[in-house]
Formats: sequence, structure tokens, C-alpha cells
Amino acid sequence: MTPMIDVVFQLLIYFLVTMKPEDVTTHLEVLRPSPESRQQRSEVPPNLVKIQIFADGYTINDKALGIDGLSDVLQKLANLDKTQTILIMASSLSQHERLVAVLDRCAEVGLNNLSVISTN
Amino acid sequence: MTPMIDVVFQMIIFFVCTIDLDKKKFDERIKLSMAPHGKAVEKKDPRTMIVDVNAKGQIGIAQAYMDAGTFEVMLRNAVSRYGQTMPVLIRGDARTRHRDIRRVLDICSRVGLWKIKFAAIKDKAQPVEN
Repeated sequence: MTPMIDVVFQLLIYFLVTMKPEDVTTHLEVLRPSPESRQQRSEVPPNLVKIQIFADGYTINDKALGIDGLSDVLQKLANLDKTQTILIMASSLSQHERLVAVLDRCAEVGLNNLSVISTN
Repeated sequence: MTPMIDVVFQMIIFFVCTIDLDKKKFDERIKLSMAPHGKAVEKKDPRTMIVDVNAKGQIGIAQAYMDAGTFEVMLRNAVSRYGQTMPVLIRGDARTRHRDIRRVLDICSRVGLWKIKFAAIKDKAQPVEN
């Protein structure tokens, strides 16, 4: 019995040392125009908030802001209505990190109607 | 007593092996962006198509990198099997330019997929001291 316990200990130690802790991941969901609704897209949603992402900054409804300023504005918007559509326009050269940062800030304040569009 | 320990061993070995298999599906070199406020993943649709986009902008599925044409064919096949409600999870590297993510989004739109998610890291695991 005792030698076996020794072996078990060795195995335990081996697994503890080799184990690499996993990062906790999150999935940020976005809305994309579904193929059926593409025809009806000409109608403009009533209160549209437009966030543009560039390689060197952000604008919200054409006003330039930093990521923290953006957070404050989003917080105010979320206090009014959490279901309003936020249109996120990412430019070609912006890093993916920036898009994820914006999606993260939207998730933080509870906005969940996020449309992602690509621009040049 | 001893037969039970044997069974427990078999189970431990089984779980260790299967956990490892699950991890090999992703490209570990992709550095995901941080999103500390995102919701933790609770349940995942088993049909989810996981697409890697590395820092160079290459598109890959399960560690195999391919060109956009091949990727579109693969997606079309998957759509014909699972339907257009199949979710797509994009694991984009933080440094990837949006135009490379856009290629994936455009192909998804073309084949009629609209459930798009972006993977990010909620909590970074504490590095083990070695």
C-alpha cells in the first residue's frame, strides 16, 4: 500500500507542476445584419449612436474622445436606455484590440444592441 | 479498497487526456485582447465555428491556416449542415488590423451567418512560478 501512495504523490506533484492555468475567456456578442433584413436596412433607427474606431482614437457621434471619455458617455446612454442600437464603425487600419475594448465598455454598462460595421 | 483506487486512477488519466485534447484546438500564439467586463462563457453552442485570425491576418480553423477562398468553402459546407443560425466565434489577435477581421465578417455575411462573437480574455490566469 505505502509504495503506491508514494507513486500517487509523484503523479500529483507532476501534474501540479506541469499544469498551466487557463485564462478565463469571454465571448462578446455583436449584431450583424441578417441576410433577410438586408433589404429593409434603408430605414434609419430612431436614436442611433455612432461610434467610430480609428487606428489612433475614437469618436462618438463625430466627437473625438478617449476610451475613458467613451465609457462615461456610454454610461449616460445606458442610464437612459439599455436597448438602443449602438452602431460601431471600425476603420480598416484600427487594431482589433480597440474594437474589443469598445465592446467591453458597452458590456460593462449593459448595452447589448451592438452593430459592428467596417469602414475604410 | 485497492480496486477502487485503480478505478480512480483510470478516471484521472481519462480526464487529464481529454482536457489536453480540448486545448489543442486553439492556436496558443494568438494573444487575445482583454475584456474584463464581458460575460463569462456559460454554455456554448456545440455547432460554434471557431475561427482564428493571427497577428499577420491569416485565417485559420483548428490550427490550420488557409486562404479566404478555402475558408469560404468550409463555411458554406458548415452552413449547409448546421443552418444559418450557427454561431461564429472569432479569436482575433489584439494586434490584428480590422481589415483582416473584416475579411472574416464579409465571408460570414456572404454565406448568411449573422451570429458573430469575438473572443477576449476576462481574467488572465496567474502565471506559475517555474
